[in-house]
Amino acid sequence: MAPKLHLQIDPRSGVPVYRQMMDQMKYYVAGGTLRPGDQLPSIRELALALSVNPTTVVKAYTELERDGVITMKHGRGAFVAADAARLTNEEQVEALRRSAKHLAVEAAQMHVPSPKVVRVVCEELEALGADKTDAEAPLKFSVVAGD
Amino acid sequence: MPPVISARDLTKTFRGGIVAVSGLDLEIEAGVVYGLIGRNGAGKTTTLRLLMGLLRPDRGEVRILGGDLWSAPRSTRHRIAYVSQGQQVPDWMSLTDLCRYAAHFYDRWDRDIARDLANRWDLPWNHAIGRLSGGQQRLAALLTALATRPGVLLLDEPAAGLDPIARHSLNDCLIEALLRSDGCTILLSTHLIGDLERLATRVGIMDRGRIVAAGEVDDWQRTVRKAQVVFPGEFVPREFNMPGALRSETLGPVITAICRAPDDTVWDAIRTRYGARINVFPLTLEEVFVEMFRDRPTDPVNPHPGDNEGEFITISGQPGIRVDKGDTCRVGGAFQSTAPPAQRDRD
Repeated sequence: MAPKLHLQIDPRSGVPVYRQMMDQMKYYVAGGTLRPGDQLPSIRELALALSVNPTTVVKAYTELERDGVITMKHGRGAFVAADAARLTNEEQVEALRRSAKHLAVEAAQMHVPSPKVVRVVCEELEALGADKTDAEAPLKFSVVAGD
Repeated sequence: MPPVISARDLTKTFRGGIVAVSGLDLEIEAGVVYGLIGRNGAGKTTTLRLLMGLLRPDRGEVRILGGDLWSAPRSTRHRIAYVSQGQQVPDWMSLTDLCRYAAHFYDRWDRDIARDLANRWDLPWNHAIGRLSGGQQRLAALLTALATRPGVLLLDEPAAGLDPIARHSLNDCLIEALLRSDGCTILLSTHLIGDLERLATRVGIMDRGRIVAAGEVDDWQRTVRKAQVVFPGEFVPREFNMPGALRSETLGPVITAICRAPDDTVWDAIRTRYGARINVFPLTLEEVFVEMFRDRPTDPVNPHPGDNEGEFITISGQPGIRVDKGDTCRVGGAFQSTAPPAQRDRD
């Protein structure tokens, strides 16, 4: 039995709806909420639940299948792929970069130095109880902030 | 497969030389939801009325479901439904009367759909429609259109006057129509551009009687960006052309532009070549629309629209940028100078 998914579409984000759906599905897989073999909602269910055009759901599923995240079984629906890879390093960086760009612009406008930006982000991560042992993380944030 | 709706060189001029639609070309494939957007007076309503055969074009050709509605057989006309902007239903009729009346004319009338929609929209069956609110009257008209199980549905600002709950519910009903086994092709004009991001597959932007930009909704969202380029010196280098700019503004060493860029490599190239700092922001469809038309003068009526060819931007999922007419990719707001000529219609 697949867990209940809470997908959100933000119409003001400027990110294509199918892309938003894909990203959230990937996060669910990456975070372990969706496990290999779990069945995903049907195209009809998802289109009605999110009030989106069914072809948008088809597009999201097709792209997810191409990325190896899900498999489509004819007549049975969509399932999380057995070897659904967690987000690759590049995908992680890409996903973070979208938010980081906004952060970087705000920081630059307020003339906040990079180390301070990194510190704020680290504090927010700590507040979430996120893993602090990844030595790479501060480095990536400083690269983004100085971009 | 031939398109479900097609129009070629469609032109309509009203009395007094008011050019409402000018050389409009349109093709809509089966199962597509096509959103027609544009400012008031852009020609959207006239286009829908021409497609429905409610107006005779001065020039051009319309085909819906393979034929011309003026000569189409009854069976074809039964598969097409249209709700106009100010749709009038006989105000003395109750919803029961209206449904009974419509059921006589439409072979595909579906009583279950009518009942379901009346329940969902909380429409009373036995009150005179004239005594219902404007929004409820609109819903009653939409109900009769949807209950005919149309294969083609044309809607002129369907959500105008609806409360947010009714509007969302209408969107859900349109999605259900798409999911039906026999499917549906929908063309709707609207000012609620945010709704189109979820609902539409393609969007066409009308301006002064023409479709000036058209493309897949996903492609608009994926490729059109607001970009701010800050050059290291005091001014923008003279030879610099903003790639894919739909419009741009320059202030000292900074260019702010609405651009269509297939991917981020274009920005990397500018960074490398000029040492510029670049911020790129995604835009919603509504923001793209506002940016395209912001500051455009409201021109007086131009009775000779063919004298000046405007631009046509196609966003087709193909890499690269295609601007058919007029060089609009220069810095300094050339978009305005190559704009199509002025005309107004009566929608």
